Amino acid sequence: MGKNQRNRNTRRVSGDTWREEIEEIISGASGGFLFGIPLLYTMEVWFIGSYVRPPILVAILAITFLIILSINRIEGFRPQESETLPGAIAETIETMAIGIVCAVIMLVILKRIDFQTSLTEGLGKVVFEGVPFSLGVAFSRSLLTENGAAEDNGREQKPRSDNRPGYLRDTMADLSATLIGALFIAFSIAPTDEITVLAASASSWWLLIIMTVSLLISYGIVFASTITNYEQRRQQQGLFQTPQSETIISYLISLITGMLMLWFFQKISFADSWYIWLRYSIILGLPASIGGAAGRLAV
Amino acid sequence: MPKNSWRRSLAEKVSFSISLSIVGIIVTLICYSWISGNSNPPILSISQFNVRQVNSQYYVPFTVINNGGETAASVEIVAKLTLSPQIVETGRQQLDFLSRKEERSGEFIFSHDPNQGELAIRVASYRLP
Repeated sequence: MGKNQRNRNTRRVSGDTWREEIEEIISGASGGFLFGIPLLYTMEVWFIGSYVRPPILVAILAITFLIILSINRIEGFRPQESETLPGAIAETIETMAIGIVCAVIMLVILKRIDFQTSLTEGLGKVVFEGVPFSLGVAFSRSLLTENGAAEDNGREQKPRSDNRPGYLRDTMADLSATLIGALFIAFSIAPTDEITVLAASASSWWLLIIMTVSLLISYGIVFASTITNYEQRRQQQGLFQTPQSETIISYLISLITGMLMLWFFQKISFADSWYIWLRYSIILGLPASIGGAAGRLAV
Repeated sequence: MPKNSWRRSLAEKVSFSISLSIVGIIVTLICYSWISGNSNPPILSISQFNVRQVNSQYYVPFTVINNGGETAASVEIVAKLTLSPQIVETGRQQLDFLSRKEERSGEFIFSHDPNQGELAIRVASYRLP
């Protein structure tokens, strides 16, 4: 084997390792978003984070660490088993870091942490919201792999055909799954006051950021996650079946679902301006699109 | 496939280092706020700024800050504008929480010019969480 050939192989292996690492982190973060999003839209958790004292925060972090460590001994977000205790401890630190980063991103996106927030309050919110996100990261494979495996089995029994009705059927299946998933999440969040409170602090350009984040998380959960049959999804052709277009269309479905739920629970009425409809729907569209992405995993 | 922690790939080592830094920073910040914190009751002070007029209404911006140690809950801010014994306007606002060193801003709105009368803005009450 020549030197150039060896270098190429080394680069490919190294590249694969980085790609796998990024995929595992995205998989973990996806689980974190699925598990953490309901608590993120709970006002009481923000309030608790505002006044809890630092010793209690340290205790909460320590307890969370032990719980996740015990989960990682048997489960964890990495597909490889952490056989040794140092390995499990390392994975626990990574799990908590992913959960904390996800929680910080969402708290900033939803304007629960800003430049006026004091250090103590910010830390309180991050720790309290970071716990469900970290648990979601630790449970990410159990949350999603089962569906992915079921999906794999189903697809093996029912090979894709290239005729148009097959494309249409797949499209309809994805869209229905998005609708059910979005409905599942939006139904429980729409009647709460959190949407109104969050919408009050979001300016127009901030709504665009929330839309972008909604699309990225939705895309990340379904298409970039290693825990699903994403290779198969990436190869799908036909109506709405490219990853980007399906994500956008699924987001629109989540947005409309959220809008209908808000109207159903009398949070918005026809007397309100179109801007209120749009504003509230985009705020609810974030959790709804995550629910929709989770729904599509089950197709 | 069992994974030996001492034979991690470079990618895993990098992500572990970043993770350790993130968790370390959070724990350090919590410990810092624990050590540097005090257990004094809330000390709430308010400052007001220049009045601005929009559509024959007068907006008075204010900022309230908690310089004490404890978090204050249900912070109530009241404003009273007295132009004459007959003309008195009042405003009232409530903040859910104000942590140590946290500041929040808002505005009171009056239909008369505050510069023509006597304006008093103060923190009326709070409760401990």
